[in-house]
Amino acid sequence: MTLQQSPYLQTLKLLAIVIAVCLASFYLISSVLIPVIISFTLYALFQPAVTYLVRHDVNHSLSIVIVLVVLLITSMLMIGFALPALLEQVSLLQARLPEISSQLGRLLTEYGEKLSAKVGADIDVSAITLSFLSKSSSLGQAVLINVSNGLFNFIIIFILVPFLTYYLLKDFKRVRNALMNWLPNSSFELGWLIYYNVSTQLQAYVRGVMLQSLIMATFTAIGFSIIGLDIPVLLGAITGLFNLVPYIGPIISIVLSLLVGAAMTPFDPTILYLSVVVIVSAQIFDNAVVIPSIVANAVNLHPVQAILGILIFGSLFGTIGIILAVPAIATGKIVFKNIYADMANASLKAG
Amino acid sequence: MANILWSNIFRKGESELQVITRMWQETPLFNNIPERHIAFLCEKMHLRDFKAGEVIFTQGDQGAGAILVLEGEVRVSAQKTELALLGSGDFFGEIALAAPERRTADANATTHSRLVYFLRQDLVEWIEYEPRLGAAFLLNLSATLAQRLFEANKLIAAET
Repeated sequence: MTLQQSPYLQTLKLLAIVIAVCLASFYLISSVLIPVIISFTLYALFQPAVTYLVRHDVNHSLSIVIVLVVLLITSMLMIGFALPALLEQVSLLQARLPEISSQLGRLLTEYGEKLSAKVGADIDVSAITLSFLSKSSSLGQAVLINVSNGLFNFIIIFILVPFLTYYLLKDFKRVRNALMNWLPNSSFELGWLIYYNVSTQLQAYVRGVMLQSLIMATFTAIGFSIIGLDIPVLLGAITGLFNLVPYIGPIISIVLSLLVGAAMTPFDPTILYLSVVVIVSAQIFDNAVVIPSIVANAVNLHPVQAILGILIFGSLFGTIGIILAVPAIATGKIVFKNIYADMANASLKAG
Repeated sequence: MANILWSNIFRKGESELQVITRMWQETPLFNNIPERHIAFLCEKMHLRDFKAGEVIFTQGDQGAGAILVLEGEVRVSAQKTELALLGSGDFFGEIALAAPERRTADANATTHSRLVYFLRQDLVEWIEYEPRLGAAFLLNLSATLAQRLFEANKLIAAET
């Protein structure tokens, strides 16, 4: 067998074509990528409910409408109850921002002076503090600009998502079958095997991760209120959201809770240690209980593969890349494994 | 010729889905399964056309499900020995319904054939919603596989 005939290389070639097609599709729909991702997530979450109703002799379109109306009412109720509290906490955080920077400045000066005294070198703490504060303020401005852009995006998402989700629930399987019918007879079974393996894993991943985020948000929100940290509900919600990003998300959550803890008056270092304890115990609970029972086997990735993937996808595609890294790599692995098995069998028969 | 075949398969006023449903219903796999449930499953199945002489699958391929011959003729063989010649209403490849195993024989269309694919994943999803009927189907599938094993053993015994 020559190197060019090697099933491994042939699989890599085919995988490269699949990746190129996926990237081109993502590029084409880049302006509506977020609503599309949200709609597919909702499809993965609510498709079983629609099938359940259809199996109980409810008309297909009516089943979708019932599920979407229930979803809409539930979200409205949740927003109605949670939004005022969340907004109150956001404005609290906004009001505390100058305090956070001055507290940080004070802490940096204090520890900087101690450090200078210990190592005997002259550290220009005020310059570091000034540069940090100016960077923070430009970051704050960027956040404000992002928030106003975000509002526009939110409106687009709010209009597009229900439409897309409705049509996905209604027609996705029909369109999928039509596309799969384009496969040649020789690849028909392999195509379906890959599709089912990928879709089963992705659906399990999406459902698992959503539930995991909800559990983490509740756990940390309760923990933060017990230790008396400011804005516990908002911080809990953010921790749950950042938990979508494996390994890196929890670190961001710790930094955020430390910032809020540092801004509290009177300043008490115990609260900083306790917030770390809350997040670390939430992580232990997540890894020992939630992941094995809910997300286990959803994606079969080595931690090193996941971390490297997140870093590479993050640097290439930004925030979306960070969130999509784990499912994308898991999908790539399944596609590679199945095509390779097929190529290896074909090459074995060819002798 | 095509018209004779057509009229043989399609009874008066029957749609393609009804023909496929009836054909599966007549197989041992769907013993004691009500027709409307078979029709629900048949809606999810996939119809494929094969030219005369075209390979359907070969030994060692990954199998995704069982296949029903709607029209035409299929030759099943292993190591170039013919195991069966299947016609309209026959099915094969049912091992793939029970487990994600590789194909144990070769299958080729000897004439232009229309085949109906019943994929394992569709069966798995159906069992989740209809566990009682799913159990009945799995018993039928076990009986069919046992029968095939019995026939294979008889063939081996006759050869030795």
